[in-house]
Amino acid sequence: MKNETRFDPDAELIVVNATIRGPRGSAVVRLAIDTGSAATVIVPDVLDEIGYSARDGTARTSVTTAVGKEHGFLLKVAEFEALGFTLTGFPVNVFELANRYGIEGLIGLNFLERFNYEIRSGEGRILVEKIAP
Amino acid sequence: MNAAEQLAPVITEALTWPQICEQYPDQWVCVVDIQWDEPRMFHFRNARVVGHGTTRREPLVHARPWRDRYPEIGHFFTGKIIAPFPRFFA
Repeated sequence: MKNETRFDPDAELIVVNATIRGPRGSAVVRLAIDTGSAATVIVPDVLDEIGYSARDGTARTSVTTAVGKEHGFLLKVAEFEALGFTLTGFPVNVFELANRYGIEGLIGLNFLERFNYEIRSGEGRILVEKIAP
Repeated sequence: MNAAEQLAPVITEALTWPQICEQYPDQWVCVVDIQWDEPRMFHFRNARVVGHGTTRREPLVHARPWRDRYPEIGHFFTGKIIAPFPRFFA
């Protein structure tokens, strides 16, 4: 089954909805698709509100940016839903992103690599299907 | 405005996304009761705002009193989404 998700082809980033479910509720956020990111990244504020904290982290991680190295942590969220698929116990990297970017994180390759996907930029469409086992 | 009024949870009437952007320009908002046209796309008929502010955290704090009644809360920025952002090299 191929799921289709639409995005704004005129925007600077490919941004899609994602729903993250935690022990205290769910957050619907907007994330940028980033095939240059090994990991899916979520800002800590959103995760705090649905019941996660650094105490739930399974490992410390770091990100190298233009201004240096920043530290975050790895966390498995109960459910992560994006592009028409829901993954349980999905690992995300928790890092701060500047407010001015207007997104709550990135969908990286640790999500995308589980699927075949086709980004049709001219049409503002992403077609995603699960890779057959 | 006294302290009790400042802390009183506020929820708007149902607003469309253009109305939300007009009332809270370049702000982060928390919305509940989202009437999605298509959940995988950012298209909804209307939603009710339970928090807003210039930082990500502000609306999330405003939205806390509503968490029990609305287990799903949307957290969105009303301004333009811009690149670049930090690259992740794990």
